[in-house]
Amino acid sequence: MPIVIDPKICREGCTICDYFCPGDIIYRISPKESPVVKYQDECWYCGICADNCPVDAITIVFPENMVNCQTDVRTLMGLPAQNVSRS
Amino acid sequence: MASLATNLEAQKEPIHVLETDVVIVGGGVAGCLAALGTTEVGARVVICDKCGLLERAGSVGGGTDHFTAVLEEGPEWDTPEYLMSYMPALLEGVADIEAVERLVQGLKPMVHLLEKLGVDFHDPENPDIPYYRHRAFGMPGAYTINFDGTNFKHIIGRSARRAGAKVLERTMVSDLLMVEGRPRGAVAFHIRTGDVYVILGQAVVIATGDANRLGKNASGHAFDSWHFPYNAGEGRAMALRAGARLANMEFVDSTLSPKGYSTQGLNAFVGGGAHFINALGERFMFKYHPDAERGRRSDIINGFITETREGRGPIYCDCTHLPEDEIRRLVNTLGVDRPALPDFFAQKKIDLTKEPFEVCVTEIASVRGGQPFRGSGVHIDKDACSSTPGIFAGGDCSTTSSGIAGATVMGHIAGMNAAHFALSQPKAKPLTSNEKDQIREMLYRPLRLREGISFHAFEDQVRSIVTDYVGYRREEIRMREGLKMLRTLRSQEDRIKAEDYHGVMRVNEARSIRINAEALAVSAIERKETRDGAAHLRLDYPKTDNENELRIIMVEQIGGELRAISRPTGLNPTPPPKKDIS
Repeated sequence: MPIVIDPKICREGCTICDYFCPGDIIYRISPKESPVVKYQDECWYCGICADNCPVDAITIVFPENMVNCQTDVRTLMGLPAQNVSRS
Repeated sequence: MASLATNLEAQKEPIHVLETDVVIVGGGVAGCLAALGTTEVGARVVICDKCGLLERAGSVGGGTDHFTAVLEEGPEWDTPEYLMSYMPALLEGVADIEAVERLVQGLKPMVHLLEKLGVDFHDPENPDIPYYRHRAFGMPGAYTINFDGTNFKHIIGRSARRAGAKVLERTMVSDLLMVEGRPRGAVAFHIRTGDVYVILGQAVVIATGDANRLGKNASGHAFDSWHFPYNAGEGRAMALRAGARLANMEFVDSTLSPKGYSTQGLNAFVGGGAHFINALGERFMFKYHPDAERGRRSDIINGFITETREGRGPIYCDCTHLPEDEIRRLVNTLGVDRPALPDFFAQKKIDLTKEPFEVCVTEIASVRGGQPFRGSGVHIDKDACSSTPGIFAGGDCSTTSSGIAGATVMGHIAGMNAAHFALSQPKAKPLTSNEKDQIREMLYRPLRLREGISFHAFEDQVRSIVTDYVGYRREEIRMREGLKMLRTLRSQEDRIKAEDYHGVMRVNEARSIRINAEALAVSAIERKETRDGAAHLRLDYPKTDNENELRIIMVEQIGGELRAISRPTGLNPTPPPKKDIS
């Protein structure tokens, strides 16, 4: 999950992350419940939500294929892979 | 359990009809300045954006830290005439020079207009200097103003709202309404509630930014892009459907980024003194540009690709030779370009003082081909008018653009001229209820599909074709194969399924990505030379051809298919004598 929101810290009724997310990914459906990351696979990993959260309730967690990317770079240039492709 | 699609089928989304003069598609920097220009002329305006808040909308929603301007403060280089004398050389002879001149002439008045709106161009670290300026690479003067623009977009969004623009947020324009070749308004929908808006107006400003998600990236995560992934070239697609031309689509952009995360930040590293080294430990960039890491971005990318193709990868970014103070400064500023970049380094456990980190080329983007003042997209003239009367464009969706500064100037011009045009035309006629029903039916067809493919699956095919057939190394046979595949893919567009209104937005984006890719392929086949480093590199035409190829390549849609046309630029790309622009 790219965006982790700590429900213990998240402020009731605040909708900043919902409104600021440029991809329409975070939804605060109920003021009493934490916002929902509704379209996780559409996250840009910009960090605007975490950067603007007034109580620092949001952490950006990069998935394994970003942090430990194993893609053969040649495949991004239209060439066949030489090594094992990405995990 | 009944699917959402089934439930949605039973209901009918409300249709709201709005009457205005000018419809602005996109509420980023260019869109907001267009709204201001429109209201200055006294026309009514509706501005639509997919974002939740106009004040944060667009790729500059998070703020900026620089603005390019000629200010006529005294130095010889600080005049529009001086900068323009270099422009044919800076743009390698391929540009619409009259439109570029209009942009350059508009920079100083724009700075003053923005100051009136509340933008403070002081640099916080140099508060006694009115404009703290530096020279960006390749420019013949110190045109870049450093300032704290954290609230830049907030200020211009608020100004557009206060000027009387009607703002529709979380609202995507799906298409323009055209009658007898003239705009009649636009169709839009709310991406959460599904409410449909039929906005009647006599002129349109397209301000939808660049086109991303076009090529494969290292992480395989589609929205992991260097530039704003929610800009998918929709405005360009609308323009084509409305009969307007695109241009410069053959030029593509990319950058180097920590492997696995496509992000801004290259300038911070090379500006701070980082080196790129290959698998042999060689600092190789001197082979590709005399200024090595500080060369043009398109030359840096070219260097990366050549080293990798010739077996000297992986490529690393090395900061270990830098003084600790410089590394600390670098680390502290990484979040300016992308707030989550420091988190990425932390999660990767990279210590810049101790080890180099692997870098990778980012996905192909359609922005400016690495050149300032020349964009790719809707072909506009000096009045920001497209080839279709009544359709105007500004910012990175258009051919005369230069980042934020270009978007402000050309957006403002687009808004004013759209207003003049709209006020000179008879009012758009209302639609019949039958026409409105048809609009809703077409718009929400992806929701009613019982079977189909996902937008992800559709887009992945486009990205593979672009990367494998029209990517960084191009040749005619491969590109023709790719173009054929992209055209075949069009038949799948009606099968892309959406689960909700947000999904309808993604379906529209996916279709736009395909047509942007097709325009890219058609243009790249037409330009039979290599130009601007990695921006357009042909293996079958490896040299720059200033004899035959100093021309603008345009694409237009005829009978559902894109075709290329061109016209000579008439420019001489030789730099002015006795002047050094390196």
